[in-house]
Amino acid sequence: MLTIRNLSKTYANGVQALKDVSLDVPRGMFGLLGPNGAGKSTLMRTLATLQEADTGTATLGETDVLREKEEIRKVLGYLPQDFGVYPKVSCEAMLDHFAILKGITKPSERREVVGHLLRMTNLWEVRKQKLGTYSGGMRQRFGIAQALLGDPQLVIVDEPTAGLDPEERQRFLNLLAEIGENVVVILSTHIVEDVRELCSSMAIISKGRVLKTGSPDNVIAEINGKIWQKTVDKGEVDRYQEQMDVTMTRLHGGRIRIHAYAEEEPDGFAPVDADLEDVYFTALLHDRNGNNVTENAQAA
Amino acid sequence: MWKSIYKFEVQHHLRQPLFWATSGLFFLMIFFGTATNAVTIGGAVGNTNRNGNFVILQFLLVMSIVGLFSVTAFVGSAAQRDFEHRTHELFFSKPVGKFDYLFGRFTGSLTVAFLTYIGCVLGSILGSFMPWVDPERVGPFTFAPYIYGMLMIVLPNLIFMGAVFFALASWTRSMMATYLGVVGIFVLYVISQVLLGDVENDTLTSMVDPFGAGAFFMATKYWTIIERNTALPDWGGVMLYNRLLWSALGGAILVGLYLTFDPSRSKKNAGKTLRERLARIFRRGDRSPGSVPAETMPATTRTFDNATVWSQFVRQTRFEVAAIFRSVPFVVMMAFGLFNVIGGASFTNNFYGLEVYPVTHLMLQAIQGSYLFLLVIIVTFYGGEIVWRERSQKMSDVYDSMPVPNAVYLGGKMIALLLAAGAFFVVGIFATIGYQLYKGYTNLEPALYAKGFLVNIYPFLLLAVLAMAVQVLSKNKFIGYMVMILAMISAIVLNALDYQHNLYRYAGAPGIPYSDMNGYGHFTTPFVWFQAYWSFFALGLIVLMVAFWRRGTETDWKPRLQLAKDRFQGRLRLAAAAVLTAFIATGCWIFYNTNILNAYVPNDVFEERQVAYEKQYRQHKNVPLPRITDVYADVDIFPYQRRVEIRGRYTMVNKTAAPIRDLHFNLPTDAEVNSIEFPPYSVELADEKLGYYIYKLDDALAPGSEMEVTFDITVDRPGFRNHGSDTRIVYNGTFFNNRHFLPTFGYLENNELGDPNERRKQGLPPVHRFPKRDDMVARGNTYIGQDADWIDFETVVSTSDDQIAIAPGYLQKEWKENGRRFFHYKMDAPILPFFAYLSGRYEVTRDQHGDVAIEIYHHPDHTYNTDRMIRSIKASIDYFEENFSPYQHRQARIIEFPRYDSFAQAFPNTIPFSEAIGFIARVDEEGADEDGVVDMPFYVTAHEIAHQWWAHQVIGGYVQGATLMSETMSQYSAIMVMEKEYGKDDIRRFLKYELDQYLRNRGGELVEETPLALVENQGYIHYRKGSLNTYALRDQMGEAAFNEAMRKYVAATAFQEPPFTTSEEWLDFVRAEAPDDLQPLITDLFEKITLYDNRIQETSYEERPDGTYLVTMKAQAKKFYADGHGVETETPIDDWIDVAVFGEEEVDGRKKQKVLFMEKRRINAAEPTFEVVVQEKPVRVGIDPYHKLVDRNIDDNVKRVTDS
Repeated sequence: MLTIRNLSKTYANGVQALKDVSLDVPRGMFGLLGPNGAGKSTLMRTLATLQEADTGTATLGETDVLREKEEIRKVLGYLPQDFGVYPKVSCEAMLDHFAILKGITKPSERREVVGHLLRMTNLWEVRKQKLGTYSGGMRQRFGIAQALLGDPQLVIVDEPTAGLDPEERQRFLNLLAEIGENVVVILSTHIVEDVRELCSSMAIISKGRVLKTGSPDNVIAEINGKIWQKTVDKGEVDRYQEQMDVTMTRLHGGRIRIHAYAEEEPDGFAPVDADLEDVYFTALLHDRNGNNVTENAQAA
Repeated sequence: MWKSIYKFEVQHHLRQPLFWATSGLFFLMIFFGTATNAVTIGGAVGNTNRNGNFVILQFLLVMSIVGLFSVTAFVGSAAQRDFEHRTHELFFSKPVGKFDYLFGRFTGSLTVAFLTYIGCVLGSILGSFMPWVDPERVGPFTFAPYIYGMLMIVLPNLIFMGAVFFALASWTRSMMATYLGVVGIFVLYVISQVLLGDVENDTLTSMVDPFGAGAFFMATKYWTIIERNTALPDWGGVMLYNRLLWSALGGAILVGLYLTFDPSRSKKNAGKTLRERLARIFRRGDRSPGSVPAETMPATTRTFDNATVWSQFVRQTRFEVAAIFRSVPFVVMMAFGLFNVIGGASFTNNFYGLEVYPVTHLMLQAIQGSYLFLLVIIVTFYGGEIVWRERSQKMSDVYDSMPVPNAVYLGGKMIALLLAAGAFFVVGIFATIGYQLYKGYTNLEPALYAKGFLVNIYPFLLLAVLAMAVQVLSKNKFIGYMVMILAMISAIVLNALDYQHNLYRYAGAPGIPYSDMNGYGHFTTPFVWFQAYWSFFALGLIVLMVAFWRRGTETDWKPRLQLAKDRFQGRLRLAAAAVLTAFIATGCWIFYNTNILNAYVPNDVFEERQVAYEKQYRQHKNVPLPRITDVYADVDIFPYQRRVEIRGRYTMVNKTAAPIRDLHFNLPTDAEVNSIEFPPYSVELADEKLGYYIYKLDDALAPGSEMEVTFDITVDRPGFRNHGSDTRIVYNGTFFNNRHFLPTFGYLENNELGDPNERRKQGLPPVHRFPKRDDMVARGNTYIGQDADWIDFETVVSTSDDQIAIAPGYLQKEWKENGRRFFHYKMDAPILPFFAYLSGRYEVTRDQHGDVAIEIYHHPDHTYNTDRMIRSIKASIDYFEENFSPYQHRQARIIEFPRYDSFAQAFPNTIPFSEAIGFIARVDEEGADEDGVVDMPFYVTAHEIAHQWWAHQVIGGYVQGATLMSETMSQYSAIMVMEKEYGKDDIRRFLKYELDQYLRNRGGELVEETPLALVENQGYIHYRKGSLNTYALRDQMGEAAFNEAMRKYVAATAFQEPPFTTSEEWLDFVRAEAPDDLQPLITDLFEKITLYDNRIQETSYEERPDGTYLVTMKAQAKKFYADGHGVETETPIDDWIDVAVFGEEEVDGRKKQKVLFMEKRRINAAEPTFEVVVQEKPVRVGIDPYHKLVDRNIDDNVKRVTDS
C-alpha cells in the first residue's frame, strides 16, 4: 500500500534524521518502534506532507506522497505527537470546523460524522466543554477523532500513548485497532507493548535507520532460542551488562531477573521464550555495537 | 533564601535576549534623541541644551512610560514562568517560603527592569558627546539629573507598575490579563492627561498621574531655558508626594499579593504527578469506560472543488475573526479606543475653553487621532498573533495536514485582520454619531463618514498586509515584531533626515485635510494614486506570502526557498508580473506628477535655498528702491482648474534723494512669469531658482519721478505634489495675498532660515534681530513691507460663475462675461501694500451699521456665529470710533476660508477668517458664567476689526516693538469691547488663559525674550503678555486716561509717512497721561520682564461685637526682573496691588463668590500685613486675586480664612 524507498533527510544543523529508509507498509496497523530521537517523528511528518525529504520516494498506492501533497492530504488522518488545542473553543465546534477543512461541506453529514466520532471517542458527554478544560487523555481522544474525520486511507499517529495511564491507553489502542482493519495506520511508539498488542507488522528504527522489519511474530521467531534468563543480585547487574547483550532487567522478588541474547546458552542462564521487547533491545544493542565497530574501525 | 531566588532571577534575565534588546533599544532611542533631531522623545529638545536637565528628565520619564511593556514582560515572566513551564510543582515541593519566593522573584525582575534604564543614561551621556553635536548646545556634565531621574521618576514608576503587573500575573497566571493591566494603567494615565487640559485641576491631576508626569510638568511648565538646562524639580512637594503615593500603592499591592498568594494550593498538587492528576480528571469526564460503539462510521461525500474551497475560506475567516474579536486585548483596546474617541470628540478644537459644533469631519479627526497608535499596535500585534496562531498553540501540524489550499488560511487570516482594523473605525463612527446626537447635532453627513472611513482606514490595511508579510517571512514572532518596530522607527528617521518621498515610504501618501468648504478637494487625487501604488506593493507582498506561506514544520531556509520556487508557478507567476507592472506604472505616473510636473523639494533642499538666498542677497538689504504708490491688477481665478492669471501694473516713485538705477525684485518661483516690463533696462541678475532679480535701468529714475511696472503671471497647479500641496488656490475657498504671487521689491528678510540652531548648523550668523528703535533707516519702512508706504488700489477680479471673488475695495461693478463673473473693486483711501484675493461659493449675510456696510461671506452651513460677528463688528466700531478715531472705510467684510490655516487676518476692510476658528464655535451663553467660556468669534472679530485702526491707521516702523502697535493694541481693544459686552468676569477668565499661555511659551523662546515694548514679533509676548499688561495698566490708570493717551497717539501717527512710529513714542503718550506713581509700573510692564510672586501666607478673622468682622492677613509680595534668558533677580517691591476679601452667597441654590472688599493697596514690603473690616462673614482673602500681574503661581494668591 505505502511504499517508502531510500528516504533521507538531514537538517540544517547537521543532524541526519533519516538515512536511506525503505519500508513497505501494508494495510492494517503498522508499528514504528524506536527510542526517542530515532527519526520516527521525522518520518511521520514527511509522510504527513509537513516536511520535505532530501532524497527518496514514498508512494501511497499510485500517489506520490512527496509531490502530490494535496492528494495525500485528502486521504490523510494525522495525529501529531505533541499538539495543542484552542482553549476557548468547544470540542464539538472544533471538530465541526475540522470537518469542513476536510471537505465535508454538507452540514447534515458533518453533524452525523462528528456525532459518531464523539461517541466513538467517548467525548459525547463533554462535547460542549471548552477544549482548554480537557485532560490530557481527553485531548488525545479529541486528537484521534479529528484524525479520523473524512474516511482517511492513511492514518498516522505519532506517540499517541505517551502520557496516558494504562486504562486510557488500552481504550485508545482498541479504537485504533477498530479503524486499522481497512486502512493504513502507522503508529509510532517507544512502548513495545503498543506494537505487540496491536500491530500486524512493524519496523524498528534507530538513529534514522531501519534496523528490522516484519510482523511481530516473525521478528520474535528470528531470535527465539537465543534469549536466556537468569535471576541475579542487584550488584551483579552491571557486570552482566558489561559482558553480555542484556536485553531486559526486571525486579523479581527483590532480586533482578535479566534476559540476555546469546547464540549459545551462557553459564547459569536458562532458556526462555523471547518476546518483542527482547527483539527490540537486541536490535538496538546490535545497532549500537555495530556502530562502535565502525567507529573503532575508523579510529584504527 | 530570597537572596538566592533574587540572584537566580537576575541571572536568568541577564541571559535572556529581552534584557539586551530592551537595553539596546533604550540606548539607541535616547542616543539618537540626544544627538540628533531625527528622533524626538516626548517633544522636541528645542533650544534647551541637549543634555539639559529638563531634556534628560523628560527622556527618562517618557521611557519609563514606554517601559510599561518591558516591565510587564520582566515581572510578568518572573511571576508566571514556573506555571507556564509547570516547574512550580518542583519549586513548591522544596522548602521555599512564599515570602522568599515572591519577594525574590519580584525584586530580581524589578532590578533587571531598572538596569535596562542604564541604557538610557548611557545613551544620553554618549549622545551629548558626539562630535557632530553643536558644542554650544551641550552643558557641563553632572550626575544630578540622572540621579534625580532614576530615583524620583524611573524607580517609583517601576515599583508601582512592577507591583501591579507582578500581582496581576501571579493572580491570573495569564500574560493576557497582565497586559490588560497595562492598558488599564494607560487609561488611568490618559484620564489624568485629559483632566490636565483644564488648568484648574493641576494639583489633583498631578497626584492622579501614576507616572508622575503631571507632577513633573506642573513643576516645570513655566521653566525658562536657563532653568530647563540647570534646574531640577524639588525633591519634595507634589513630586515627592506623588512618588510616595504610588510607590506605597505598589507596596500595598505586593502585601495584598503576599496575603492572598496560596502556595498550599500548589503544594497539594505538588504531591502528585501530572499524569496522575490528568488521569483523575479524565476519569471524572469518562462515564462509560471501555465502551466503543459498534456502529460504523457514517458515510460522507467529500468533494474538493471551488465550492468547497469557498466554504472552507468562509469558515476559516469566521473562525479567525472570532478568535481576534473575542480575545481580551482586542476588546480592551476597543474599549480604550472608544474612550479615546469620545474624549477626542469632546476636545476637538477647544480654544479658550470654548466648544465647537461636533461637525462630522471633526469627529473623523477625533477618530483618526485616537486610533493612530492604537491601530498600529493592534495591526502589528495581531499580524503576529494571527500568522503564528496555529504554531504557538501547537496546532499547526493538524491544520497543515488538512486538505486545504494555502490561500484559504492566508486569505482567512488577512481578511480577519483587515476586519479587525475596520471594526475600530466602525465602532468609532457609531460612537461619534452618538456623541453628535447627544450634543443635539443632527447634520450627520453619512457620505462624509463613508469617505472618511476609507481615507482613515486605508493606511492601516496596507500596514496590516505588511505586518503579516513580515511575520510570514520571519523565523519567529518575536523577530517579526522587531522588524516591524524597526520599520516604523526607520520611517520616522527617514522623514527626519528629509527623505520624504512617499514613493519609498511604505503606505506613504500626502495628507488629505478636510474642510467643510472645500471637502477633500484636490488632495483626493494624489491620495488615491499613492494608495493605489502602495496597494500594488501590498499585493506583491501577498504574492510573496503565498510563495513563502509556512506549511509544515520546515524552518530552514533552503527547503523553504525550494518550496517557494515550486509554488511560484503558473497563475502566481502571472499575478506577480501583473502586480509588478502595475506597481511600476503607477510609480512612474506618480514620479511624473511629483518630480517632473512639480518640483519635489524636501525640507533640507528648501532650507538650502533659504540659506543661499540669505548668503547671496542679504548684502542688498538696504539698497534704495522706488516705492509703489499705485496698484492695478486684473486677476482671473479659475478655481476648478486651480489656475490664477494675474496681469498687473505698479506705479513706482523714487522717494529718495538720489537717482535709482538698480531694481531689486522677487518673482514667485512656483509660478510662470509670462512677462515683466520696466522702462528700458538690462538684466544684471536673474536667479530663477531663488526668484531674485536685479535689473539695471538704462536711464536712472530721478528723485521724485514715476515709472510703471507691468507684469503678467500665471499660477498653475498641474498634476499633484509629493507634499506641501498648495492650499491657496483650491476648488472652493481660494485665498492668497500679493506676497504670494505678485512681484515684490527688495531683499525679503522673511525668507531667511529662522531657527537659530539650524542657522548655526548651516554656518549662518545668529538670527538677525529686529533693528533698534533708533535705527532711522529701518524706520523708513513699516514692518509690513519695504516696497511701499500707502498705496492706491484698484482691481478687477474674475472667477467661475458659481463663485464670488473678493478683494479689498468697494465694488464698483459686477458683470458676467463668457460664463464667468467679474468684480471691479476700488479703494477710496490709501492702504498698506497688503491685499488679498478670495473666491468661493459663498452665502452672504449683510447688515448695516451707520454708514458702514457689514458683510459676512460664509459657507452656507456655517451660520452659527455670523450674528455674533456682526454684533462684534458693530460694538467694535462704536468703541473704537468713540475712543480712538473714525473708521477709515465704509465697509467691513469677513470672508471665510478653508481650515488649511487657522487664523484671521485683517486686510483693509477685508478680513479673511478661517473656518477653523469661529465659524463652528459653540458659544453657550447659558453656561458662560459658570464654565468660563469666552465668546471666541466675538473676540477674534473684535481683534481683527481693531486692526483697521492698529495696523491700517497706525503702523510701527520695522524696529523692535513694532507689533506692540498692531497686535497688542488690537488685543487691548478687543478686550475692552468684550468687557463692555460680557463684563469683567469673562475678561478675568480670558486673562487666565493668556497668563498660562505666556508663561508656558516663554520657556520655548528660541532667541531671547524681550520686554513688551521691544517685542520682535513673538506671539506669546505681543498677544498674551500684551493682553495682560495693557489691561493691568488700564486698570491702574483708568479707562478714560488710558484711552485718552490712545486717542492722542492715533491722532499723531495715523497714516504717517516715514519715518514710522515706535513703541517709545507710544509709551511717551501713555506716560503723559499717567500719574507719577505709576511711572515705575509702566517701566515694569513694558520695558522690563517682570514677574511677581504674590501669596497669602496667614490669615484669620474675628467676629466683633457689632457683627462686623476684622480680617487680618499676612501676605508675601515679591517682584523679580528676568533677563532675556530667564535669569531672575529679586527687586524691592513698590506697587499698587489688589487686596480683597470674599464672602459667599447663595444664588439659585449654588454658592457664589461675593466681593466683600477690594482695594488697591500700595505695597512696599516683602511681607505686608493688612487689617480689613467687612460686614459679612469672610471666606477667602486674596492679594492680586484676579491675577492681573504676571505671577507663576496664582493659586496661592487666594487663601481660605479661618476663625481665630
